[in-house]
Amino acid sequence: MKVRLTVNGEDREVEVEPRRLLSDVLRHELDCQGVHLGCEHGVCGACTVIMDGVAVRSCLTLAPQAEGTTVLTTEGLGTPEHPSVVQRAFKTEHGLQCGFCTPGFVCAITAMLDDVDEMDDGELREALAGNICRCTGYANIVKAARRAAAERDESDSVIRQGGGCCGEQRGCCNG
Amino acid sequence: MAEAPKGLIGERIPRLEDDRLTTGRGRYLDDLTPVGTLHLRFVRSQRAHARLTAVVPGEYEPLPPEAIVITGKDVLGLGIQADARVVPKVIEPHQRYDDNRPTELDPAWQSSLQPALAHEVVRYVGEPIAAVLHPDPYVVEDAAEAVSVHYEDLEPVIDMRGALAADAPIVHEGWRDNVFIRRHRTYGDLKAARERGKHTVRITTRTNRQAGVPLENRGCLAMPDATGRGVVLWTSSQMPHLVRTYVSRALGIPENLLRVIAPEVGGGFGVKGHVFPDEVLVSELARRLQRPVKWTEDRVEHLLSSIHARDHAHRLEAFVDDDGRVHGIRAQIVVDAGAYSVFPWTAGSDSGMVPKVMIGPYDIQDVEFEDIAIATNKSPLGTYRGVGRPSATFSIERLMDTVAEQLGLDAVEVRRRNLITEFPYRAANGLLYDSGSYLDTLNKVSEELDWEVARATDQGGQRYRRGVGVSVFNEQTAHGTPDFEVRGTPIETGYQGMRVEINPDGTSVIFMGLQSHGQGLETTLAQVMASELGVLPSTVKVVHGDTGNSPYSVGTWGSRGAVLGGGAVARAARELRAKVLKIAAFRLDVAEDDLEIERGVVRVKKNPSQLRTIAQIAEIAIRRAAKMPPGLAPGLDALAYVDGPDRGTFSNACHGAQVVLDTWTGRVRIERYVVAEDCGTMLNPTIVEGQVQGGVAQGIGNALLEEFNYSDDGQPMSATFMDYLMPTATDVPALEIHHFDSPSPWTENGVKGMGEAGAIGPLAAVAAAVSHAVGAQLYETPMQMERVFAIQEGDVPEHLTWEYWHECPRLRGFWDDF
Repeated sequence: MKVRLTVNGEDREVEVEPRRLLSDVLRHELDCQGVHLGCEHGVCGACTVIMDGVAVRSCLTLAPQAEGTTVLTTEGLGTPEHPSVVQRAFKTEHGLQCGFCTPGFVCAITAMLDDVDEMDDGELREALAGNICRCTGYANIVKAARRAAAERDESDSVIRQGGGCCGEQRGCCNG
Repeated sequence: MAEAPKGLIGERIPRLEDDRLTTGRGRYLDDLTPVGTLHLRFVRSQRAHARLTAVVPGEYEPLPPEAIVITGKDVLGLGIQADARVVPKVIEPHQRYDDNRPTELDPAWQSSLQPALAHEVVRYVGEPIAAVLHPDPYVVEDAAEAVSVHYEDLEPVIDMRGALAADAPIVHEGWRDNVFIRRHRTYGDLKAARERGKHTVRITTRTNRQAGVPLENRGCLAMPDATGRGVVLWTSSQMPHLVRTYVSRALGIPENLLRVIAPEVGGGFGVKGHVFPDEVLVSELARRLQRPVKWTEDRVEHLLSSIHARDHAHRLEAFVDDDGRVHGIRAQIVVDAGAYSVFPWTAGSDSGMVPKVMIGPYDIQDVEFEDIAIATNKSPLGTYRGVGRPSATFSIERLMDTVAEQLGLDAVEVRRRNLITEFPYRAANGLLYDSGSYLDTLNKVSEELDWEVARATDQGGQRYRRGVGVSVFNEQTAHGTPDFEVRGTPIETGYQGMRVEINPDGTSVIFMGLQSHGQGLETTLAQVMASELGVLPSTVKVVHGDTGNSPYSVGTWGSRGAVLGGGAVARAARELRAKVLKIAAFRLDVAEDDLEIERGVVRVKKNPSQLRTIAQIAEIAIRRAAKMPPGLAPGLDALAYVDGPDRGTFSNACHGAQVVLDTWTGRVRIERYVVAEDCGTMLNPTIVEGQVQGGVAQGIGNALLEEFNYSDDGQPMSATFMDYLMPTATDVPALEIHHFDSPSPWTENGVKGMGEAGAIGPLAAVAAAVSHAVGAQLYETPMQMERVFAIQEGDVPEHLTWEYWHECPRLRGFWDDF
């Protein structure tokens, strides 16, 4: 069947079997290999993407469920030359080591960024507990979330952007 | 060799690898799929121990078109054989090793061939029986479902003590019993120690089986090369050169026809520091079928059939005087090594490590050990961050706390009275400790925890009770070739090689056989290169994990990447620097000593406006060689190999935990965690702290949550993240880290290894804190709610009693002999 969706600002159409997972479609058909699979049963969070402004597990989402949605992956949030505020914060706070869980964390934190200031440390850790990191011990990921929330501006809110990319001012993609 | 830190060494520069990894540009194994790839799916055993009577593809439903099914009989003899040879009884640190090279199989050793695909017998649930191939990764799963396996059940061996029983079923036909290897070592005079210490303290400990769980599962992809005979193998591995050596031997092809590439690796932790039978099989099938073949492990497969870790039962007996001074220790170590011996460490790796490291930071010269690695119908046990050390430290530290309790002394004070304070120190077993700060780290942590006050607080009657505990340990790291040479195992060396070159535009490249899987090696090695050469780290590129372009290295494990990899980079970069200076001196017509290099510019010290950039020098050396000084060869590259100190360099640390126990449920929450660590000179403190925090998180998982269980008939009970509990952000506090700095006199820049240390201390520190809160000693990990609650209620499980193990005749002898 045909599935139409917007991925990282680009309208895409794919022909898939109904059983095909969104994670696999993003990785293999739509070239978003930053979407990672760590468990394929919704526990580790490495495959997290932002669908219509909300963080979702792409390994628990069938591709047809993404019909008509707008999906952002870490590739769409920033590039090595122009990283997003969350991606920058991960580097500044040493919030990653092997980097495998990182795109999932980047998407999860990006989607909750507007609410981070209102959370105390316990709530923030609770909010991050849907993603597993085996390398960092989380402390620096918590710091990265705090820093990103403090340094964000209008262009970093995916919800306000209506699911667009990183904003025209950076010119790194089609917005 | 130790020099004062210079240049960028010790600077907190941000990691060079982060820009690509945060934005999804890193390419891991599963991101690689060449055109024409056949995806491979394993049919795995559902029985712990059984005879295979038939493997029938398409018995109940037809196989999809294009599916290929390979069974054990198609690949007979293909697999992993990791044997141990005779090891000399006593190894002196200064001994020459070339006369001692073990050549014969140890008579105590029993061999196991781990087949690439099981044939006739399966020995654990998850063992591969057939490989199914298909161009479509979804259809191949359907095809694997259509393969039927017929079993004739055999009695499984699951329980550790049961495996040693006189009438136990035998895991490997033809073996005399279920023991891979059993070793006995004595150092010093135990009888004299018993006379000096009039108290005898005995404990029994158990660290249950867990898994390593890098977040990226394993996987490999093999593609036939242009000759049709060779293969390029991409594998998520920590040791590409060792994979090349073993796999080429298994395939019977010359080593130069196999190129092994480890791409971005999503965490290793020792789990990926093995050569696996699947790497052999995938390479063989790519050659036979002349098509790319790819296997990506899923999480269930990883938990079932990649290696497991820990799974130790220890009994310790100590002879202690009235002051808490421990004069002698006897210990019996039993390790459940699972069904097969892993390459290159062998099944004896974990059990063998314990006698080596258990005494650790303590001045105890009279010791006796027996270690036994047993075979059971479980997944093979392999290396995982710390290798044997977390369990060894757990036992010796639980012993120190028990000594304190039984003699009515303070637990920190007992440690103080036993710690080593003078260096270098020759341990009873011949290890030579270079330098350290054992007492300083203990004092620092106990001060931070406000130890005396915290221990004295009476919390009786309250629902929530606090506890504090410490653990002290040292860690042998970056141990050199002699340390491996005498093991008699297929791991024979400990060195690293590095090739560095400068390009015509002045940028430079490090080619390393090491694999970076999260430790920040791209950054720290670029820092070393930049410091030695006088360039900016951002102009240094690190190419890692490709046997096609790097010198032979043993890989990234045993906390040796920064110490020996960094050491090799330093030496090679120094050679380059000397050549750059020679050329510049010739062009500027000054003496080499008159020049300095900074930020990529070579200047005359007394006249800084006289200069050449490294790019200009490189242009001459590589592209305009006629301008070179007479007699100097063109080119700007260098190669260096660095071996570790004979018996390694020793990092040390003290960990302190403060926990809150809910006495109604047995639930433990870690409130504070303090680390005082010493890894000598730090190349990049940010990266050191990240490694410590990450290691401690794994150790906390080990201490409180992670356990891989089997049912009585050998069925895995923890094969998903719903059953195998990983620590998340709510379980691990931010650490309070304090650094001490005892540079090693034996390594470049005084660096010591520290990649594993964080994971070694938490079991013991958390156990001590929980024991304090509970008011009774805990001797088993993980300390899950039900275990803690049971101990709190005075209910000690049978397997934590001395008698439980003593009833086994095969274990009693060690104690009766004394």
